[in-house]
Amino acid sequence: MSASKRITVQEAAEIIKDDSILTFSGFTIWRRPFAVVYELIRQKRKGLHLIEVNGGSHSEFLVGAGCVAIWESCWIGHELYGKYGANLSRKVKNKEIIVEDYSHMELEFRFAAAAAGAPFSVTQTALGTDIHNPEYDMLGRAGLRDGQRIGKQKYQFIDDPFFGAGQQVLCPAAKVAIALMAVQQVGEEGTVRVAGQYYADPEVARAADTTIVMAEEIVPEEYLRREADRNSVPSFEVDYILECPFGAHPSGMFGRYDVDGAFLKDFYTNTRTQEGFDAFAKEWIHGHDHMSYLEKLGWPRMLTLRANTALNYSTNVKRGQ
Amino acid sequence: MSMKKDYASPDEYGLADLLCCAAARDVRDNEVVFAGTGLPMVAIMLAQKTHAPNLKLIFEAGSIGALPLELPTSVGDARCEVGASVSSGLHDTFSIAQRGEVDLGYLGGAEVDEYGNVNCTVIGDYLDPDLRLTGSGGSPDINSFAKRTVFIMLHEKRRFTTNVSYITSPGWRLKKWPGGEWVHRRELYGSAFRGGPSAVISTAGVFRFDEETGRMYLDTCHPGHSPNEINDLCQFELDISRVNGETVPPTREDLHFIHDVLDPEQLFIPKVKKG
Repeated sequence: MSASKRITVQEAAEIIKDDSILTFSGFTIWRRPFAVVYELIRQKRKGLHLIEVNGGSHSEFLVGAGCVAIWESCWIGHELYGKYGANLSRKVKNKEIIVEDYSHMELEFRFAAAAAGAPFSVTQTALGTDIHNPEYDMLGRAGLRDGQRIGKQKYQFIDDPFFGAGQQVLCPAAKVAIALMAVQQVGEEGTVRVAGQYYADPEVARAADTTIVMAEEIVPEEYLRREADRNSVPSFEVDYILECPFGAHPSGMFGRYDVDGAFLKDFYTNTRTQEGFDAFAKEWIHGHDHMSYLEKLGWPRMLTLRANTALNYSTNVKRGQ
Repeated sequence: MSMKKDYASPDEYGLADLLCCAAARDVRDNEVVFAGTGLPMVAIMLAQKTHAPNLKLIFEAGSIGALPLELPTSVGDARCEVGASVSSGLHDTFSIAQRGEVDLGYLGGAEVDEYGNVNCTVIGDYLDPDLRLTGSGGSPDINSFAKRTVFIMLHEKRRFTTNVSYITSPGWRLKKWPGGEWVHRRELYGSAFRGGPSAVISTAGVFRFDEETGRMYLDTCHPGHSPNEINDLCQFELDISRVNGETVPPTREDLHFIHDVLDPEQLFIPKVKKG
């Protein structure tokens, strides 16, 4: 075995420097790496450029805390528990953040292109929409399209040169520096086993130059290699690992715990203003570490969220009201 | 089965029930259906319980051919995976859509124009918006490739607008970029053209589209609404020459499935309080 990849929550956040291009595992309010996201807020990270297949509550926390300069994605909100991203919305209105819109499929395929080492993706989606309006190239307007990590153009059209299938859209590969992931299991050498829908995780892990995997548990590598067909990311594509139970709370994790809807609703309701966000962050983030955060949540709440092992979601959580 | 055509009386159901049932009726058996979060999920699962037991349900987060036991609160939910044929990811589900295998998509939106262009990105000027909304999610992707797409929306005059603030999801007449001239959807999508928005189900009525002109027309009015009144609730001149009566109300069997089986927690559909 090579040198240990194990790090702490604090060290994981320290690897993510100011102005980095960052992405995440998960889907809206599922499997988001909250423990490290909170630590980034404690460490007052600035200037992050998030490229996300889709955003969610974790993006709202980072945006509200002022960590994000550019948000490049297609969706933000808290699903049932908050109908839009109020922090992003406030910062857009105040022109405190750059937002670059692509469609969901375009973003997924931009990550797939980066994961395959290809310079661009090809799709036929969202034709005729304002996503392709040249006036709305926000990174171009900001003069940031340097052709290094950010493509020289937002998109380009070509006609299918092979089969005459019509107009195609090329979008630049999502050249992210760091992927921060929350999963159920990682091996000591980095092999990842994701349970449930794997969203965009395999592409995200491969696209990034540096991949940090936060897992509910670090397990013997040999255990995962007994059934390699169940694994999602090979060991050498993972640079750092950390064990952090309930590390994705308040998002949910298939087979482990459900989304904490009451927590998200509380966040959404109380962080419309910057003062509201700051008060929420003071209560739940600053002055805490992961263990004191869990202590504050308390066992009864965590047991209610805990997934039924047959169904992979909680049968006790109250999802309404 | 005698229960089946046993229509509920107006005091037994709410607007959300009516919308859900109207949406469910657009599903045909054996179709491949792409579900968005919220009321569409209840509608599709209602169709699955009633007239379309063989529909194939896809959640864009990766679950394909699912038979959930409990209503998911979002498409990423662990509940989406129960009974699925394959549990995968977004690359698979969007590939399936672009490949042309999806019959029907169900979506929501904040604004719609008479050509079925839908906005869920910003209200106001994109470069200086009054309100930033959630953004597109998979709406343009599902709607680009499904043979039919149904939108479920709140009906207000400002939402049924002459010009949407931003075209998030493509309707029947679209802008051909980079110039932005308006063309019929068919000209833009080439071999990927398979159809487009087939219905808008609002809180006032059900609207469909003439595929040649691309224009919206009123199909049915919800009970208590007249065609002229609905026309007044649109900024554009609504075609009311093809009205096909009233929207069919829910049956008691529908209401039983919605409230006792699919959404007993009232996540998306509140129960009507009687009396």
